[in-house]
Amino acid sequence: MRLYKTIVAVALGAVMSASGAIAETPKNTLVIADAIDDIITLDPGEVSEVAGVLTSQQIYQPLVTFDVSDPTKITGVLAKSWEVSPDGKTFTFKMNPDAKFASGNPVTAYDAEFSLQRVVLMDSRISFILTQFGFNADNVKDWIKATDDSTLVIQVGDVYAPSFFLYCLSSYTGGIVDSKTVMEHVVDNDYGNAWLKQNNSAGSGPYVLGKWDPKQSILLNRNENYWGAAPGVDRIFIQQMPESATQRLALEKGDIDIANKLQPDDFDAIENNPDIKVLEGNSSTLYYFGLNVRNEALSNPKVVEAMKYLVDYKGIADTIGRGTLNVHQTMIPAGFLGAIDYNPYTLDIDKAKELLAESGVTLPIKLETVVWNTPPYTEFAQAVQATMSQAGINLDLQVVDGQQWLDRYRSHDLDIWVGLWGPDYPDPHSNVKAFTVNTKDTPDGSEGLADRFGWDAGKLSAEAMAAVREQDTDKRRAMYEAIQKEHTNSSPFIYMFQDARKVAVRSDVKGLVLGITYSDDRYGGVTKQ
Amino acid sequence: MSIGKFLTRPVPPALRFVFGIGSWLLTVAITLVGLAALTFLIGRVVPIDPVLRIVGEKAPQSVYDRVFLELGLNKPLYQQFWEYLAALLRGDFGTSFSTTRPVLTDLLDFFPATLELSSLGLVLGIVFGVPMGVASAYWHEKWPDHLIRVIGLIGYSVPIFWLGLVGLFVFYFKLGWVSGPGQVDVFFQGVVPHVTGSILIDSSLAGEWEIFWNAVSHMTLPALLLGYYSLAYISRMTRSVMLDQLSREYVLTARLKGASELQVVVGHALRNAAIPLVTVVALSYGGLLEGSVLIETIFSWPGIGNYIYSSLFAADMNAVLGGTLLVGCAFVFLNMLSDVLYRTLDPRSR
Repeated sequence: MRLYKTIVAVALGAVMSASGAIAETPKNTLVIADAIDDIITLDPGEVSEVAGVLTSQQIYQPLVTFDVSDPTKITGVLAKSWEVSPDGKTFTFKMNPDAKFASGNPVTAYDAEFSLQRVVLMDSRISFILTQFGFNADNVKDWIKATDDSTLVIQVGDVYAPSFFLYCLSSYTGGIVDSKTVMEHVVDNDYGNAWLKQNNSAGSGPYVLGKWDPKQSILLNRNENYWGAAPGVDRIFIQQMPESATQRLALEKGDIDIANKLQPDDFDAIENNPDIKVLEGNSSTLYYFGLNVRNEALSNPKVVEAMKYLVDYKGIADTIGRGTLNVHQTMIPAGFLGAIDYNPYTLDIDKAKELLAESGVTLPIKLETVVWNTPPYTEFAQAVQATMSQAGINLDLQVVDGQQWLDRYRSHDLDIWVGLWGPDYPDPHSNVKAFTVNTKDTPDGSEGLADRFGWDAGKLSAEAMAAVREQDTDKRRAMYEAIQKEHTNSSPFIYMFQDARKVAVRSDVKGLVLGITYSDDRYGGVTKQ
Repeated sequence: MSIGKFLTRPVPPALRFVFGIGSWLLTVAITLVGLAALTFLIGRVVPIDPVLRIVGEKAPQSVYDRVFLELGLNKPLYQQFWEYLAALLRGDFGTSFSTTRPVLTDLLDFFPATLELSSLGLVLGIVFGVPMGVASAYWHEKWPDHLIRVIGLIGYSVPIFWLGLVGLFVFYFKLGWVSGPGQVDVFFQGVVPHVTGSILIDSSLAGEWEIFWNAVSHMTLPALLLGYYSLAYISRMTRSVMLDQLSREYVLTARLKGASELQVVVGHALRNAAIPLVTVVALSYGGLLEGSVLIETIFSWPGIGNYIYSSLFAADMNAVLGGTLLVGCAFVFLNMLSDVLYRTLDPRSR
């Protein structure tokens, strides 16, 4: 019994003495809670997972970037200026002479040449962003070329809207690495991939990689040689904390500064907390239902149209989204070039029944619907299932894990896919190509969503390719506006919502710039006062 | 059973010991290979495509095909398995693509965190569970018994993630008695050099007592929850074993001989009950060492459970196999340990 008492006393003592711990994060450290367990690389030539791109964006810089509040404005970062040849096929960049890497080496055109070439030469999983311009392993050494330290000349395979190419360079694929440092660590012709993947960084951005403990945490340290305005905090610590409720408690308690994975319920709970503010930003992520027209019933346009009237768009946005979703029924997200405010569909069961009667299909129809087992997808799917069943369309919901969800849609083995689309760069073509262009019209023969769902976009596919080649921005905008209306009316995609980005931070966090995607937030200017 | 049985002449004890060890090792090897084979097969049958996980949904087919070949997925299943085993015999667990590190490095990183937490949980489970079970049996069908059974039942039936969230809300958020998710506070991260991987041991070795106490306060709540979880099982099993022992005639004899109640219960009945309890404790320890995915998720704990779980959903087979083999080894070791304890506690088996 004495032992028993001693143990209790020791346990209680430990708890009590520890409770006096500091309940605030240090002023020089920014602590971010996020889900980082899916990151498999931090090499900017292949990084692709949301949190991985977010991390790499703080370390590496592209040649050009865009203004997040108005993505149509493109500005130089490592490039100071650029010119496009009259035929639209050659881009000449002048490098910024002030820019230097964390190693102290100046950023030259040869670094840019090396960085862009290696993405293509490594046959990296994100090389498609560049290879769509016609680069391949055989021609890339000639087509992407530094002529001296300050001049980079890039030749593309066909005529494209200049902004389209610049946006692609601004994406995560376009991060420039320090070629001198990386070349020292090349093993077996891997272009330094093994070295850059895990423990090392060689960028010119405000932060350098301190340590990445996979599935646990990422530490970024201030780049002491940073050539821009010095970052406001010394360290950024990204902690694996996947649970929304846990993030909320830690944020309210002051143990983290930024909660990146809060659900609507938890936003409600912190609404009145004066120590926390909620930042709102633009997100370009779209949620949609993709209908596989290989299914006989779904190949009937009347059925597809009827289904567009069987979604309670506003109801779902109000009850499930609660401020995190806006109804959006076109393929180009608001804020992008060519975006239009066009939401023709509302829940109208009578109209849907009429269309179904005209279609001649025998009701009820049963459709296999594949749903990711994560909010908000499951909630969307259930809400849509309820309204569709009122007109005799029964969704057989198959709620599966994320990998299986992707697998099923890649193999076309389903009737309906409840999906999302996030553009890789803020050019309308990222979305328009995916949703409209058929494989036969693409220069690189890649498969987009149109083919994945068995849809022949007809003349829209060719029109979309014409739009991306249009040199005049105003004409290009008008072309997209026309394509979109037609697309919303006739395509087998039920666009529902555009994400409204919300991020909860402690009130003392200043200067956080939210990007246009989850992986585009910019921490360089963040301070804590 | 033992190879000794195949020999007709009596074997000297030393040789018998060698044979004993040999046959034990053979059993362990067969168990582990069987485990690896089964895990391998399950990993290949689950409808998850590792290539897709690596290249992402937008990658072109050429990249997909290249990675498919790099992973050796074009080879027949038996060949893939054989190559894995051959590498394993050379001490090579392979590389996990989801952490980009050798699996062995990962295991040495993640397992100590689980070992530390579950050992604490188990100690709490024994320290509170056994006395509760004894009390419950001693006051059979009286109020202490009812109370203890209700406590046990709650530990058994309430989902542990709910208890975890409520625990965080009350003790971390409202009362501030314990620290929140994670192993240590952010400013202590990476301060202590990695020696054993256990933050408590490493910080004591480094003499960083502030970090030690900080780690204790982070660990208290998850350890208590795991402790509660194993307490529920241990107290229930102790109760039933003790009920059996207390109704035996030797207990009556001891009482008639005038032994004190404490002597009767602890000295006689519990001593005999300890033998089956060793198995119960070993089993719950084994269960805890697999890592609790839910607890690890809620408390952002970098343990082996989440490591295996997330690797499985990424179809990262090297990581899953490595983790499974490690847990398998832990079970084998615990089995061995309980065998040894059996012999010490039970004179008949010596």
